[in-house]
Amino acid sequence: MLGLNSLLKLFRKTFAPKVEGRGFLPRRYYLHRALEALDEDDIDEAVRMITLAGQDKKKSARWRMVCQQVIFRCRVLVSIHEKQMDQINTELEIFGKTEDLRTLYLRLQEVERKARDILKNYELRLLEQLSESTASVAQPS
Amino acid sequence: MIQERNLSIPGGLTGAVLGVAAELALEELTGMEVVGGLLAVIGAGFGLIRIDRRIYEATINLVNRVPVEPTSDYRDVLEQIDEMSIELPELRESFVKLIRAGIEAQRA
Repeated sequence: MLGLNSLLKLFRKTFAPKVEGRGFLPRRYYLHRALEALDEDDIDEAVRMITLAGQDKKKSARWRMVCQQVIFRCRVLVSIHEKQMDQINTELEIFGKTEDLRTLYLRLQEVERKARDILKNYELRLLEQLSESTASVAQPS
Repeated sequence: MIQERNLSIPGGLTGAVLGVAAELALEELTGMEVVGGLLAVIGAGFGLIRIDRRIYEATINLVNRVPVEPTSDYRDVLEQIDEMSIELPELRESFVKLIRAGIEAQRA
C-alpha cells in the first residue's frame, strides 16, 4: 500500500494540477484540493475547486460540508474587510490630513470594497449551488 | 430510501452478444483462447449497467462543460491592499490586528 500511496502523491504533484481544470478527476480530489487551499488561505482556489467538485448533478454530504466551510471563510473575510472599511472611514474623519493622504485612503477604501464584493459574489455563487443540492436531497427525483 | 437501479436488459444482451463476437474474432485472428465466455460475461455486465451510456454522458458533459475560469481576483486585490497600506503604517497595524482576530474567531 505504501507504493500505491507514493504513486498517488506523485500523481497529485505532477500530472493532476495540469488536468484538474478540466473537471474530470474524482470529486474527492477536488474536495481535498479545496481544503488544502483553505489551509493556505487561498480563497480563489478553494472556490474554484469546490465548484469543480460540485459539477455533478448529485452532490454528496461531504461536498456540502466543505462548501459550507468555504462559505464560512468567505463570511469571515467579508467581515474583516467591512471592519477595515470602517477603520478607513474613521481615519478619514480625523481632521488635518493632507489631500494626498485623503486620496490614498479613498483609493484604499475602494479596493477594500472590491475585495468585499468579490467575496460576496463567491458566497452567493456557492450558496446557490448549496441550495440546489439541498433541494435535490429534499426532493429526490 | 431504496435507490433506483438503472439496469438495462437489452443493453446486457447486446453486451453479451458483442462479447461472444469479440471472443470468436480473437480466437480466429490470434488463436488465443480466452477463458470460455469471459468476454461475454464482461460484455453483459458492461451493457447491463450501461457503462457505454455513462461514458457517452461523461464525454458530452466534458465537452459542454462551461470552463471554470481561473479565479485569482481576490488574491490580486489583497496584494493591492497590501501595497497601498505600506504607506499607512498605523492603518496597516490595525489591519493586521483585525486579520488576526478573524483567524482566531474562525479557529474558535
